[in-house]
Amino acid sequence: MKNRVRAIVLVMCSLVMVAGVVYADLKKGYYSPAELGSMRQAAPMELLPDSNYQAWAYAVPAVDLAPGDGLQEVQIYCNTCHSPRYITMQPPLPAATWEAEVNKMNKTFGAGIPEDSTQKIILYLQAHYTAENRKL
Amino acid sequence: MNVAERCLSRRGLLKILGLASSGIAVSRWLGPDVTMAQGPPLGKAIETFTGPGENSHWNSVGPYLTEPQKAPLILLTDRPVQLETPRHYFRTAFTPNEAFYVRWHLEGIPNAVDLKNWKLQIEGNVNKPLALSLPELMQKFKPVSLAAVNQCSGNSRSRLQPRVPGGQWGNGAMGNAMWTGVRLRELLDMAGVKSGSLLVQFQGLETGQGPKGLGSNLFLKSLDLGNPVLDECVVAYLMNGEPLPMLNGFPVRLVVPGYFATYWIKCLTWIRVLDAPDENFWMKTGYRVPDTPRGNTNPEDVKAGKVKMVPVERFPVRSFLISPDGSSKIPAGMNVTLRGIAFSGFGRVNRVEVSDDGGKSWMAARLGEDHGAYSFRTWEASWTAKSPRRYSLAVRATDEKNNTQPDEPVWNPGGYLWNRIERQEIVVGDQS
Repeated sequence: MKNRVRAIVLVMCSLVMVAGVVYADLKKGYYSPAELGSMRQAAPMELLPDSNYQAWAYAVPAVDLAPGDGLQEVQIYCNTCHSPRYITMQPPLPAATWEAEVNKMNKTFGAGIPEDSTQKIILYLQAHYTAENRKL
Repeated sequence: MNVAERCLSRRGLLKILGLASSGIAVSRWLGPDVTMAQGPPLGKAIETFTGPGENSHWNSVGPYLTEPQKAPLILLTDRPVQLETPRHYFRTAFTPNEAFYVRWHLEGIPNAVDLKNWKLQIEGNVNKPLALSLPELMQKFKPVSLAAVNQCSGNSRSRLQPRVPGGQWGNGAMGNAMWTGVRLRELLDMAGVKSGSLLVQFQGLETGQGPKGLGSNLFLKSLDLGNPVLDECVVAYLMNGEPLPMLNGFPVRLVVPGYFATYWIKCLTWIRVLDAPDENFWMKTGYRVPDTPRGNTNPEDVKAGKVKMVPVERFPVRSFLISPDGSSKIPAGMNVTLRGIAFSGFGRVNRVEVSDDGGKSWMAARLGEDHGAYSFRTWEASWTAKSPRRYSLAVRATDEKNNTQPDEPVWNPGGYLWNRIERQEIVVGDQS
C-alpha cells in the first residue's frame, strides 16, 4: 500500500514537472516594423474570453544608421540579439570604448562574429559614433 | 434669392469686411494688441542624441513610441524594449500602468502567456517542489498589498561625466505602484528550503539569442537566503489594482521593496533555491557597483584595477521637481505651487526642502500622504518669484535614516546610483 502511494506521488510529481516544461509554447519575441513619429493611435486588440493573454507584436521602427564601410556587418551581426538602435541610443563614445563594447559582445555574450567582420564593425563605429565624428 | 445668396452678395460681403476691419481698428484703439506682431518661431524637435557632455534634459531625448498596452513613452531601444516615462506622469504618487517605464535585457519578450499552461515553479534545493497556477496563487495565499518604487539601477545614467555606455536614461526609469500578490516567504516555506541552501534565484520568461550558459541567453538574479528583504518581497499579480501590462511582467512580477529593479524579475516563472554561489553574468559581472561611499569612483582607478565591485542593492534617497518644468515662463509676483516626489530605498522620506537660489538657502516643503516606506511621497511648496530673471530651483530629500541627497555627482563604470540634488531653471517674466 505504502509503495503504491509512493508510486502515485512520484507519477504526480513527474507530471507536474512535465507540465512545467509545457509552457514552452508561450509565444515570445515577436516584433514588427513600425513608423516612428507617427501620431496615429494604436487600434485595440480583439480579445477572446479564453486563457491566452496576448499583446500586439512589439514595434521595431527603422533606425537611421550612418552610411559607410561596415554598415552591412552591423546590420547582420549586431541585429541578431538587439536592434541597431542600441548604437544610436548611446552618447558619442571614445574609440576604445567602442572596441571594448564589440569585444564584449563576442567574449562575454558569445556573439560569434567572425574576426574580419568584428574588425569592420569596430572601425565603422569608431568612424561614425565618437565625439569627433558623430552626426546622426 | 435665398438667404445664403443674400448673405454672400457682393455688397453684403464688402459690408462685412468693412465692419470687421473697423472692429479691429476699434479694438486697437481701445487697448493694447496682445498678439504677436509676426508669427511665432516654428517649433522644432529635440536633438537626436546628447553628449559627450551630460544630457541636460529631465528625460532622455528619444522620440515617443506607443507599444502594446502602453501610452506613448520615450523610446530608448525597441528590441529588446526600453521605454522611459515622461516627466509629467510623476505629478501623482502612483504611476499609471500604461505610463510605467519598461526595461528588458533580452529580445525574447513574451507576446502572449497562456494561463492554462503557465505555472510558477518553486524548485531546486527544496523539500517539495511546487508548481502553482495563477488561480492557486490568488486563492491559496492571503493577498498582501504594498506601495513600492521600482527604479532602474541606471536611472539618470545620461548625467554621468564622462558618459558611460548603456541605456541613456534621463530621470524617468522609475515608477511607483500598489503591488498586490503573495509573500515570497510563504512560497519558500511551503516548498521547504533545505538546510545548507545559500541563495534564491529568480528567472522570468525572457530569453535571448546567445549561447546557453551566457548572459545573452537568460536573465537570472539572486538574493542571499539570509537577506531580510526576502521577508518583504511580494510575488505580485496586480499592479495598481490591474493585471500587469505584458511589458511590465504579466502574469506575475517579483517586488523587492527598496531594491533596484534589476531584482524585480518580470514574468517570474522559476524561483530556484541554490546551494552554491550564483556565477551567472547578471550577478557576477553585470549590475555591480564600487564598494565605496555612494558607489563613487573614477575611470583611472577602474583601469588600474583598484576598485572592488559588489552587486547593486538598495537605491539611495532622491527627489524631483515635476512642475513647473521650465517649459514656460512664470510672471513675476505670481504665487505658484511647486510639486514633486521623493523616495528612498533605505526608509521613509521625512523631509523635502526646496531652494530658489540653486541650493544656497533651503525651505521646507509640505509632504503629501504617506503610502508607506517604499512609496513615492509627493511634496508641495508655494513659491513667489519676486523679480523677472532666471531662477535655479533645487530640491533635496532626507530619509528616516538621515540620508540626505548630496550635491556631488557620482561616477562608476555601470552608470548606477545617481542621486545628486536636481536643479531646474525657471524663467520668470516681467509682469508689466
